[in-house]
Amino acid sequence: MTRTAGPGAGGGRRRFLRRLGLAAAGALVAPPLLQACVGQGGGSGGGTALTISTFPLYIDPDEPGAPGSVARFRKETGIQLRYLEDISDARQFFARLQPQLAAGRPVAQDLMVLPSWLAVRLIALGWLEPLPLAQVPNARNLIPSLRNPVWDSQGRWSLPWQSGIAGIVYNVRATGRELDSVDDLFDPALKGRVSALLEMRDTMGLLMLADGKDIRTPSWEAAQPSFERLERARRDGQIRRFTGNDYQNDLLAGNLAACIGWSGDVAQLALEQPDLRFLVPQSGGVLWADLMLMPKGARHREEAARWLNWVYQPQEAARIAAAVQYISPVNGVQEILAQDSATAKLARSPLMFPDAAMRQRLHSFGPLSEAEEARWEERFARITEG
Amino acid sequence: MRRWWPWALLAPGLLWLVGLYLLPLLGLVPLSLSEPVSRFGLETVFRGRLVTYLEVLQTYGPILLRSFTFALVATALGLLLAYPLACAIRFRGGRWQPLLIGLVVLPSLTSYLVRAIAWTSLLGDEGPLIGLVGALRLAPALNALGVLHDGRLLNTPTAVVLGLTTNLLPFLVLPLVVALQRIEPTLLEAAADLHAPPLRIFLLVVWPLSRPGLASGLLLSLIPAAGDVVNPLFLGGPNDRMIANTIENLLLVQLQAPRAAALTLVLMALVSLLAWLQLRAGGVERLTLP
Repeated sequence: MTRTAGPGAGGGRRRFLRRLGLAAAGALVAPPLLQACVGQGGGSGGGTALTISTFPLYIDPDEPGAPGSVARFRKETGIQLRYLEDISDARQFFARLQPQLAAGRPVAQDLMVLPSWLAVRLIALGWLEPLPLAQVPNARNLIPSLRNPVWDSQGRWSLPWQSGIAGIVYNVRATGRELDSVDDLFDPALKGRVSALLEMRDTMGLLMLADGKDIRTPSWEAAQPSFERLERARRDGQIRRFTGNDYQNDLLAGNLAACIGWSGDVAQLALEQPDLRFLVPQSGGVLWADLMLMPKGARHREEAARWLNWVYQPQEAARIAAAVQYISPVNGVQEILAQDSATAKLARSPLMFPDAAMRQRLHSFGPLSEAEEARWEERFARITEG
Repeated sequence: MRRWWPWALLAPGLLWLVGLYLLPLLGLVPLSLSEPVSRFGLETVFRGRLVTYLEVLQTYGPILLRSFTFALVATALGLLLAYPLACAIRFRGGRWQPLLIGLVVLPSLTSYLVRAIAWTSLLGDEGPLIGLVGALRLAPALNALGVLHDGRLLNTPTAVVLGLTTNLLPFLVLPLVVALQRIEPTLLEAAADLHAPPLRIFLLVVWPLSRPGLASGLLLSLIPAAGDVVNPLFLGGPNDRMIANTIENLLLVQLQAPRAAALTLVLMALVSLLAWLQLRAGGVERLTLP
């Protein structure tokens, strides 16, 4: 581990443009096209041997003279990896795969990185393959707190990619003061310069925690005040947008003063905009996990196992963690980052390695039954879509 | 011989429309009256569920209304821009005419998606337009007029309408230029020789003779604008969503295909009604002949 792997210095503008493009492509055009191109025809055609779908900017990128994880994996294993950053909204990605998986036909992906709540749905539907864990000895490096989690109690179907925190992001120059609670998002002084996430569990979780509600066992009744508060803020123009990853563009362009966002994004963005802050409010932040899953009928189990094993090597996991600055699921990452002066600061970050005080404040959003989830999503969509 | 050849000429176009447009659209009818068997499965059962239509009209009626309002305002704004532009190209363009027409079309050669995204930086809170408004101290007046919302342009209805107007402008200008080109310059000279002032020439000669171009321009711009998805998504806020966004959300996020189908059919019916009214007012032959 000799380089910082941080995507920062010099790359800011390029990354910003890239994000703009990705936001657009992710929203509309690319996924259907990509799906059309790779959706059928089998993986072996064209020399592709392993296809992974994931969110954009979720791994260490290639930098001059320092190839990123994807390039090095390809070179060291000789496996033709097709690494698609084509997920921008997990719900839309599900809708894309649904026709094939529901009909029992395989999809192009061998692995996909999706939030744990969606994993629960996919497991229940029987649309996943168990992971080839026998061929992934490095899975033993998984940090203890993520073993046998609620979303996959047998630990057969998933390995975590990264975890992270949904909290409040703000530009201290734009707000003119430090923020310290969820209520600050509803401050009239910030009218029209606030955004919330389209990821329902993150936005609702944060608001419900501020209301003193328990989100580990979320109930419809307990959520009503938060739904109403959110709806009012949307109607009054307090909330400018509901976003996926694209809140980052608006923060950098100065269109937002504060928003609900994700911990790692802010760590990356702060390199370009030093006035950005990330706040885990006293009332609590939402702890989430994105998981690596194998869709039913995946054709490249062995190659997928090589990838899983590769990214669970502490050295490799440390590179990825240093770039994306989320909570790594791999044991030993903190020690590796601490050894290098360039990354030692990251090893002390409570957002990447939550200490006891931080852990106290983090809560995971509990499961919703299928019927409950439909009701919640309809209500939430009525708010976000006007 | 005479009987079949018109059909032979029509066949390719008809097959295209029936196979790729009419049949899929008809397929939406049973879907809109069905209920899904399970939330994530593909199967639906036909239940003759007409109440779905009531539900979507009740729930999304305001958004339908908003879509047509936006489209109407954008078309009106487009007309105000297009008419003088077309007149200038036709009567003052001279040998530059082809170039000027090319310039009108040029923006459409960029993907409308890319254009909408480019507009987000133009209209942003720290973008050049807001900067200009600030330098000229126009913000309070524009806020009062409802053009700006709390001093903002991006993620407001104004931005959506501006984006729509940009998209439909070429579709208004081109038919107008064609219609104006059919006007014999000698007619204008004759009117002038008879001492008609310029305004009367416009009202009595140019305007009536250009109406066919206007009718087809309206048909080509109003209807696509009402179904736009990109401008409200990138330039609007959550209070400025249009009906196509709702349909997309119902289908791809909420997985409620029957409701999405019902809303699509409602939109198609409204748009067809609008086209029929326009054609009836203008007459089909008026689309082409002065």
